[in-house]
Amino acid sequence: MTKLEAKNIVKYFKHDSHRLKALGGVNLQIEDGEFVCLVGPSGCGKSTFLRIVAGLETPDEGEIFFDGKPVTSTGPERIIVFQEGALFPWLKVQDNVEFGLKMAGIPKEERAQISKRYLDMMQLTKFADSYTYQLSTGMKQRVAIARALVMDPDVLLMDEPFAALDAQTRDLLLVEMQLIWEKTKKTILFVTHNVTEATVLGTKVAVFSNRPSTIKKVINIDYKRPRLVDDQNLFPLQQEILSELRPEVKKN
Amino acid sequence: MKKPSLVKQIIFYIAIVVIWQLVAMSSVWPNNLFPSPYEVAEDLVYTASDGSLFFGIGTSLLRLLIGLTIAIVGGMLLGILMARIETVNQTIGSLVLGLQSIPSVAWVPLAILWFGLTDGGIIFVTAVSSMFAITISTYAGVKTINPHYIEAARNMGAKGTQLATYVLIPAAFPHLISGFKQGWAFAWRGVIGAELLFSFLGLGFLLNVGRQLNDISQVFAIMLVIMMIGIVIDGIIFKRIENKVMSRWGLR
Repeated sequence: MTKLEAKNIVKYFKHDSHRLKALGGVNLQIEDGEFVCLVGPSGCGKSTFLRIVAGLETPDEGEIFFDGKPVTSTGPERIIVFQEGALFPWLKVQDNVEFGLKMAGIPKEERAQISKRYLDMMQLTKFADSYTYQLSTGMKQRVAIARALVMDPDVLLMDEPFAALDAQTRDLLLVEMQLIWEKTKKTILFVTHNVTEATVLGTKVAVFSNRPSTIKKVINIDYKRPRLVDDQNLFPLQQEILSELRPEVKKN
Repeated sequence: MKKPSLVKQIIFYIAIVVIWQLVAMSSVWPNNLFPSPYEVAEDLVYTASDGSLFFGIGTSLLRLLIGLTIAIVGGMLLGILMARIETVNQTIGSLVLGLQSIPSVAWVPLAILWFGLTDGGIIFVTAVSSMFAITISTYAGVKTINPHYIEAARNMGAKGTQLATYVLIPAAFPHLISGFKQGWAFAWRGVIGAELLFSFLGLGFLLNVGRQLNDISQVFAIMLVIMMIGIVIDGIIFKRIENKVMSRWGLR
């Protein structure tokens, strides 16, 4: 079943006085339960595309369909995880994780039950009462993922969530992310500039062209999990994606 | 506050008192214009022992508290509306800047005509002399919130008053604190100024009585008290809150 569909998404950036065409008609179809990674040269608008799917920005042309219905605003069925987490520093970890539930008016005890499940899943139980400034970057991203999962969204939108992490932490989270995906059966849209990351995570990798961006190629990856970053068998795929990307980066 | 600075401060204030005593003894100025620290202390003990000092302090602080509370609630509301709704900013925003430039005592004639010589009039002056400073800093605080906080909150279903109470105000809090600090300083000037002119109880009134009786020791004593209250509220209460906020919000 099609979960998300992007039809001819066009978006302009305001750049000083002139308009820059960032997205030049992006078409993408995502089935329920897929893990789709979006890769592309920097500045190609892949993050903007994700924000449009989240309903945080409106496209200048085209439409996003969620379960067949056009997306007009942001909503808890499409939860975004930002690169720097965007955790609320005035709240403890547990209160951060429960934020969306609180907004939905769910009573305290019930919130605690739900958040406990996800704090456990992300190995954050010990840090439930910490403030975010006391956490490492990797821990912060775990909290951000837990905060998103608590909402039980149909679609998880991740905007380069591991870009600021050190290699070891990232490798660990790449494995965990696969387990979470298998356990929760979420549809995931994952923006990254890292080709290895994309091949490790995705069931599909969509390659963006340079501005005005379109999706140049979609590569399907059917391979056992959990995949590791140093898996030799993924190298040919990575080479294939890189060969698509290289000319785009050069155009920049 | 670090220990060495405390020692320096104590030495500094002792030196001031000594110099003050020496100047008073040297009779450069007649004693009825320049009292010695001993006479001022004597006056303080006297006004304290008959209760009039504490009654004056209590009255002024109560007016300050009520006026400042009104200013904080009103100022924050106005500041948030200005930051979130462009039309409000373009219209009321310019008026706020104008009102902010009116010195607090300039409100006194209006307050007397509207409220008569009442507590209400003094509280009005207090509130109105601090409100617009709080409005302006709330506006600046909300404007400079990391946009990802607001986007994440909206994404998780927060809107309207929920967004304001759970995200905008706490996120802007480091800014708000400096606004409150400024607001309190304006409010304190407002209370004392209004009490002087209303001549209706409070520290300002005691100051005026000192002038009317040609009692220079009382004038000095009350001014000292006004200053000490300023030091306590600014240097102890606000400093504590500020330090806590700074570390919690990860700004230090």
